[in-house]
Amino acid sequence: MIDALPDMTFVRRRIRLPWIAATCMAWVALVVLACALGPALLHVSAAATDVADAYAAPSAAHLLGTDGLGRDELARLLVGGRITLSVGAVAALVAMVIGTIYGSTAGYYGGWLDTLLMRVVDVFLSVPTLFLLLFLAAMFHGNLVTLMIVIGATSWLGPSRLVRGEVLTLKERLYVEAARSLGAGDGRIIFRHLIPNAAGTIITTTTFMVASAMLAETALSYLGIGVRAPMPSWGNLLSGAQSDIFAGAYWLILPPGLAILTTVCSFNFIGDWLRERQERALAES
Amino acid sequence: MSTFIARRLLWSIPTLLGVTMLTFVLIHIAPGGPALALAGQRATPAQIAAVTHALGLDRPLYIQYARWLGALLHGDLGYSYVQQSPVALLVAQRLPQTLLLMGSALLASVVLAVPLGVYQAYRRNTTFDRVASVFVFLSWSMPTFWFGTILIAIFAVTLRWFPVGGLQTIDTTAFDWPTRIAHLVMPAATLAIVSVAGWSRYIRGSMIEQLREDYTRTAVAKGLSTRRVLFRHTLRNALIPFITLLGATIPALFGGAIITEQIFAYPGMGQLFWQSAIDRDYPTLLGMTVLTGVLVVLGNLFADVMYAVVDPRVRYD
Repeated sequence: MIDALPDMTFVRRRIRLPWIAATCMAWVALVVLACALGPALLHVSAAATDVADAYAAPSAAHLLGTDGLGRDELARLLVGGRITLSVGAVAALVAMVIGTIYGSTAGYYGGWLDTLLMRVVDVFLSVPTLFLLLFLAAMFHGNLVTLMIVIGATSWLGPSRLVRGEVLTLKERLYVEAARSLGAGDGRIIFRHLIPNAAGTIITTTTFMVASAMLAETALSYLGIGVRAPMPSWGNLLSGAQSDIFAGAYWLILPPGLAILTTVCSFNFIGDWLRERQERALAES
Repeated sequence: MSTFIARRLLWSIPTLLGVTMLTFVLIHIAPGGPALALAGQRATPAQIAAVTHALGLDRPLYIQYARWLGALLHGDLGYSYVQQSPVALLVAQRLPQTLLLMGSALLASVVLAVPLGVYQAYRRNTTFDRVASVFVFLSWSMPTFWFGTILIAIFAVTLRWFPVGGLQTIDTTAFDWPTRIAHLVMPAATLAIVSVAGWSRYIRGSMIEQLREDYTRTAVAKGLSTRRVLFRHTLRNALIPFITLLGATIPALFGGAIITEQIFAYPGMGQLFWQSAIDRDYPTLLGMTVLTGVLVVLGNLFADVMYAVVDPRVRYD
């Protein structure tokens, strides 16, 4: 059985990075590294409280100051980054797996099944995502894993539509015909030929999904049903700091806000750049 | 034209039914359920069973669905055991406030996003376009509540231009527009920021596409002024797909209202939804979900009809 090589030209082609996309990639890499290694290198506990040293402004001992319980803000920011980044990544992955399988099934089989599946997507799209998210998060309010799954399970609609559209055009290609004439079954065609060739769309969409999942974590934490204290996340660090804004504790408000803003924005810029490349490659082919 | 509207109306029935089914399924997977809520946490299993029977929750699922749907069609959105009030009444008190908030946000978004998108497209790849794009991406990536808090810190706490929150100043009993509007500015701005970002981006892309079209070149070659080409020729065509986007934004606005109303203590649907989620008041959550779903489907229907009205290439039959 000969499998078609996935059309990864948009990844492989000579890459001329615009400076903004390059900066964003470097920033994301830096943030991920800092959150992964930082807590171990810092020798400061994110959980140790020191009430005598509460609301301390940034100093040599606490680079980003301390919060209302005297916990080191930098350590909490880095540990919280792990949580928020993992929520973003896992939720995006869940959304993409559901969306890809759902969308490619609808696009590949077409006919009444396609109509039915896409009608179901219409139904879900008629209900505000945040309503579903809030409902499910309130119902399954518990650990981090359910939070990731709930965010992922409410964000697959857009991806499924995009993948379906992609598969609709890809399934008319000759290599699909060739694979079928060699005796490949539907499952093999979908998973070995169509989905790998839709990789461009899938990767681009995943990038955007990571950004929106991180914002969903932030929103849910603000609404009190996201990541549970005392576990830090960028979302609950930021929403916890809302009450400190009047006390002027800028070191509690700015760092988590800027961390979310710059990281989410970087993912969006990278996604936008990938999409532009893809469109250009499509126009040239 | 009326045939087209009638057909579109018929097409939205399956979607509406789907929304009710989705909602009904959610009621049934919600732990606890109305019987437990009504009988109370200390009820014996026998008491719960009695309430379950009285509410008809031991009947087959399709019968329960039919009865629930029947009640829904009679305007019965359910009964909130937590708030001890029919859901329809709770919603009726708050829906107008949310629609006012959403309407203002929608208006502000169009007024800001369209000129920005047009100008960015006209001056594409210039420093202005790049700087504007960075700002658009930043506001698109900002946690809504953070933006709202910054607005409060600057305009309510420091400058004292607007009140911190609420719908109206407490000691004003009469309905007067000036205080109403003062209370509306910051929430509407907070709700609008994401759509301003998304829409201006969309208009920019759509305008760039239209500016490449032959008719644009013809209009320029005829010697028409730039303003006339941009606004009378290109923008009109660029706005056609935007109508569909407007319809699709309605659910996001309802979602955004949850956070916005929370920040500004604005007594609307979003606040009710949040309170119900915290209280696990499922009947209220689901009644509101159904109602919102209906409003969204109707909004999309309206967008589709408008699309056909403004674009003569769309056939009615």
